[in-house]
Amino acid sequence: MAPIHADDVTSYQNAQAAAASPCQAPAPAPKDYGNGNPDAPYNPPGARNTDSCLKLNPTGEVVHNYATNGPAPGDLVFRWIHGSVCAAKNTDPRIQVVAYNEDTYVLRENPCVNWEAPFTYLLLGNRGALLIDTGATPEADFYPLRVTVDQILARWCRVRRKSSVPLRVVLTSGEDVAQNQGIGQFADRAQTHVTPLEFSARMEFHGLGSNWRQGLGRIDLGDRVVEVIPTPGTHKDGLSFYDSYTCHLFTGDLLYPGRVQIANDRDYVASLERLQQWKQSHPVKWVMGGHVEMMFIPGRAYPRFSTNRPFEHVLQLEAVAIDEALEHARGAVGTPGVVFRTDFILLNRVSPDEKVYQSAPNLPFVPVPYWISLQ
Amino acid sequence: MPMDLKSLDRRTFLSLPVLSVVLPAVAASMTPKAEAASALPTPAADNGPIDFKRNVPAPGSFPERWICGSPSCMDNHDPPIQVNWYNEHTVFMRQNKAYSFEAPFMHLYFGNERILMIDQGYTQLRTDWPLRDVVDSCIAEWCAKHGRKVEDMELLLAFTHLHDDHYVGINQFYDRPNTRSMGQTHEEMVGFWGMTNYPEERVVLDLGGRNILVMGNPGHVFSEFAYYDTYTQILHTGDMFYRGRCYISFWDKWFASLQRLMKFLEEYPVTHVVGCHVEISRTGQDYPYGITYQPDEAPMHMPVEDLKHAYEVAKTITKPGIYFTGAVFLCNETRDITTIDKIAYAYD
Repeated sequence: MAPIHADDVTSYQNAQAAAASPCQAPAPAPKDYGNGNPDAPYNPPGARNTDSCLKLNPTGEVVHNYATNGPAPGDLVFRWIHGSVCAAKNTDPRIQVVAYNEDTYVLRENPCVNWEAPFTYLLLGNRGALLIDTGATPEADFYPLRVTVDQILARWCRVRRKSSVPLRVVLTSGEDVAQNQGIGQFADRAQTHVTPLEFSARMEFHGLGSNWRQGLGRIDLGDRVVEVIPTPGTHKDGLSFYDSYTCHLFTGDLLYPGRVQIANDRDYVASLERLQQWKQSHPVKWVMGGHVEMMFIPGRAYPRFSTNRPFEHVLQLEAVAIDEALEHARGAVGTPGVVFRTDFILLNRVSPDEKVYQSAPNLPFVPVPYWISLQ
Repeated sequence: MPMDLKSLDRRTFLSLPVLSVVLPAVAASMTPKAEAASALPTPAADNGPIDFKRNVPAPGSFPERWICGSPSCMDNHDPPIQVNWYNEHTVFMRQNKAYSFEAPFMHLYFGNERILMIDQGYTQLRTDWPLRDVVDSCIAEWCAKHGRKVEDMELLLAFTHLHDDHYVGINQFYDRPNTRSMGQTHEEMVGFWGMTNYPEERVVLDLGGRNILVMGNPGHVFSEFAYYDTYTQILHTGDMFYRGRCYISFWDKWFASLQRLMKFLEEYPVTHVVGCHVEISRTGQDYPYGITYQPDEAPMHMPVEDLKHAYEVAKTITKPGIYFTGAVFLCNETRDITTIDKIAYAYD
């Protein structure tokens, strides 16, 4: 059965525009959509990228239009699960799933399953799905990542009238035990490409050869392209992913609202320079890291292993955080120490608990009750 | 010491010493309930006073393994508090690491007239962590076994020092009858033990035939106490010396305390030295501060030789830093440094 295009007229134009510039497309021509006109003035911006424009009772596979003017609509309006006073009595879901939009899902591991509480991203395109990172817990009983991903994909396939969608599992770092532990759950999954963990095999998997640092990988999910940018610095095999649809940059451990542990300062600066250049040629809406460790207090972070973080910073960082991190990382090259910023902390060649209960004198002082920072 | 029981306010009440050895008249007047109860018919005939002075040290046993957390905290099915009856008159308890990463140990010492509880754990609410219920059931069990009435036994709530992982659970006892706390200021605590020369002074607490020696033990913090039970001959050194990272805030005070303990060892036999935490593996690996799973944990109790050896090591320490004695880490005035970890992924 031939696929039905949600808006046949504009798809070609949009595809052309997308080829020229991934996040800029002309406004679509008015059309009868059967299920309401997405260009009607009462719609919020970007309504045509939602399933509310689908025909009622479609008879075949739905092809979604991923061409957008700027970043695709979407938002993170829920508060993240953040553990509890008694970790043993936590009743939150093991994995919190938040739909950023209908083709982008953000998953958080419950801090009471593992204190790292990593974020995992699931991106969907017309011909493929991409899972970025796999969490910190191998046991499916504790952390049912595969089951959760299967459920999201099954639901999404029902809505899009697809029988199945191939999955690709990738990592921001092959060596990071806070992000690679769940990968075993996908080992025997049908229609699934799982990245190898070993360095050269992993680079080859992304089409990055011997000159991998200067390379650029490309993952085509079907009208939605995710680009792979090598960014070593916090891990020697670090990769960042840029999604041309939501215009998010998924940075893993490289840049996130928390205590960023620089593993090699020269590489770290070089990677941030690369992201800064990327930012100039591509729109970046948010930098989406792998963790949240900051409190909602300038320059203060929860300590390692914390299973109760009631006042967390939000996950997303604005793109300007790249410039800020670069500026301060340049100053820190060759000097072991801690750099406190409002939204993140850079640790260069010091213990992971260095100055853990402190902030910088140039940041506004907000007293944190002892029991809030500790328990 | 003139005293009018009718005019007691809370502060005077708390500051009254309970040392029947030192001040028997005062201590006797402190327990009117117990005396009144003795007039009532005794529950069982064969339950005369327990003799805590014979056949010492009383033997006892620690568990093979203490509960030590789990890979996933929310999947931890261990009890909230592990109860270890060391012998029939002594209880050591441990808080589950999935309820608090500090996993502090708490002690119950039963005497003929009183029960001493040392430390109350790190979770405030009884609904979160049922310390009060567990302690009440231990006391009820002991009373049933030894023919006492629960309401006759006074419970004394003491702690090694005023850090929140050692006293926060005290709130659960606020409405418990016949219960007294040693207070939460240095003056109250010292006054409670009747000390006039802290930390040099060593005083005796009589639980009713069972003597507990209380001595000043500063170093980790200024206001800290060590306890010695004459019945089991266990020396409890709190956070001043335990199997893990002894955070030494004041080296001079700590070293002086260690010297006092050395002198104590010459005078009294000690079966085990026990502390408030375990932060180290059987192989000497450091478990970082805050971790909630310690699968290969070292035992909590230590032989006296470990304490003596630490003294030999301490004599050579002249600078701030972290020193490993083979049994414990001595973190000499390291302030905020809570770890010996390095960045795991560093590369050149």
